[in-house]
Amino acid sequence: MAKKRRDDKNPEFRPGAWLAGTGPDSDIAICTRVRLARNLQGFPFSPRLDGDESERLYQFVVERLGRPGLPVQLQVVDLSPVDELERSMLVERHLISRELATSDRHTGVAIDQEESVAIMVNEEDHLRVQVFAPGLQPGQVWERTERLDDALMQRLPMAWSEEFGFLTSCPTNTGTGLRLSVMLHLPGLVWSEEIDKATNVAQKIHLAVRGLYGEGSRALGDFYQVSNQITLGRDEGQIRGDVMLAVTRIVQWEREVRDALLRGAARVRTLDRVHRALGTLERAQILSSEEALGCLSALRFGMQTKLVDGFKVEAINQALLLSQPAHLQRWSREKLTAEERDQRRAQMLRDILGCHP
Amino acid sequence: MQYCTACQKAIATIMVMDLSEGAVTGSQHVCAQCAEQLGLTPPKQQKFSPEMLEDLLGGLNKPRARGKPAEACPGCGMTPTEFRSKGRLGCPRCYEAFRVELLPLLQRIHESQSHQGRLPSTVAEAPAGPDERALSELRRRLEDAVRGERYEEAAQLRDELRRAERGELAP
Repeated sequence: MAKKRRDDKNPEFRPGAWLAGTGPDSDIAICTRVRLARNLQGFPFSPRLDGDESERLYQFVVERLGRPGLPVQLQVVDLSPVDELERSMLVERHLISRELATSDRHTGVAIDQEESVAIMVNEEDHLRVQVFAPGLQPGQVWERTERLDDALMQRLPMAWSEEFGFLTSCPTNTGTGLRLSVMLHLPGLVWSEEIDKATNVAQKIHLAVRGLYGEGSRALGDFYQVSNQITLGRDEGQIRGDVMLAVTRIVQWEREVRDALLRGAARVRTLDRVHRALGTLERAQILSSEEALGCLSALRFGMQTKLVDGFKVEAINQALLLSQPAHLQRWSREKLTAEERDQRRAQMLRDILGCHP
Repeated sequence: MQYCTACQKAIATIMVMDLSEGAVTGSQHVCAQCAEQLGLTPPKQQKFSPEMLEDLLGGLNKPRARGKPAEACPGCGMTPTEFRSKGRLGCPRCYEAFRVELLPLLQRIHESQSHQGRLPSTVAEAPAGPDERALSELRRRLEDAVRGERYEEAAQLRDELRRAERGELAP
């Protein structure tokens, strides 16, 4: 990673592709992500892969990824010399999973410059291929994934069978190995207490609704991820159709409740909520990451519904990224206790958002 | 008295029961001739236990009969107990080894048991690992040893075969 500089232009403090804030429906859809689970022939899967074999796998994959002709230029980050803080930063940037960050195997991640592709090596599956795009772009993301997957299959002997498709370590991923997820910002549905009804729509058609950091994480800052759970028996197009069916419905629903929140008696309550959040961001001296994400969510909503102006979406997105513990410590250039972090966070947010009352 | 379910002509003299986890899940009545054709005749009296034969033949990569209780995966050695407790598969061959338990599991998770969608159109060159020719040679020698009742040699060959299948031997 680049040299530590307290600088907005420093790439490690700038959000990657998933948080660029651009793309179709980006007022609600933060990013579209595809993940493929792939394993190689000739190596046991992770539960039976010992240290020597995982090392052999790592070297083999890195050598093959280095062969020319991939549709994206990737740089392999060997995670063995990477310390805990930097690993956490990669997790916060959605480039690696928590499992990979805490693994004691030889692990790595191949990333492109825009951080729109990240291939994890030696995760629960030998390879976890991730492709991101900002906004709601399932078609574009899938086309890129398909091209990359084709190129990977030319280089790496994937484990598959006619009957079961791509063979994965966990039967929940068998088949396509595909997880398509869309991250949505849904403050309108949360504030109008319709969020449970909205997430039920997705769950009814076997989709998962999760928080900002996937499995088991809470929906901090009103961010929700909608993704398919079924990977076997439905092809990639059908899976995309399933996810989009729920996502377009939820996006439309969010727009409707946002409109309702800006009309009649609801408007003043909404205004109050947005301005309270802004007041907190401008004045608070101690801010937990949970509170910060809540305030930034309200501010983002206020910006998009034109209740407040004078802020840039990029600044809010950057603030979302830097509010997280590892980024905040890197920004501060020191290791901080939880209490110090909350103090530093309040200060950092004022800097980034440019609010100096 | 019952007629053979296979040829429907002769009188059935052999009853074959499918056992799964100690419970009878199905039965078949066949005549001696059909039984032999179907490979259902009981093994001839041997000097060693049926478990030992099963163990040796396990290395021969023979497809498992459906309904048979699963044993450790011949590819990676994962046991049924380990598969059940971890809920994870250990290698591509586990899909066959634990097929009987896996199919209902896949049905529950995905409401389906077979793949729809992409498959590799090209197969990349595999890493230096098990050499198929060396493996078939080992399998042939193991078969020979079992047929010739040279069990000590067979056991050694079986271990060698297992190691080779995991890619541990230089081809």
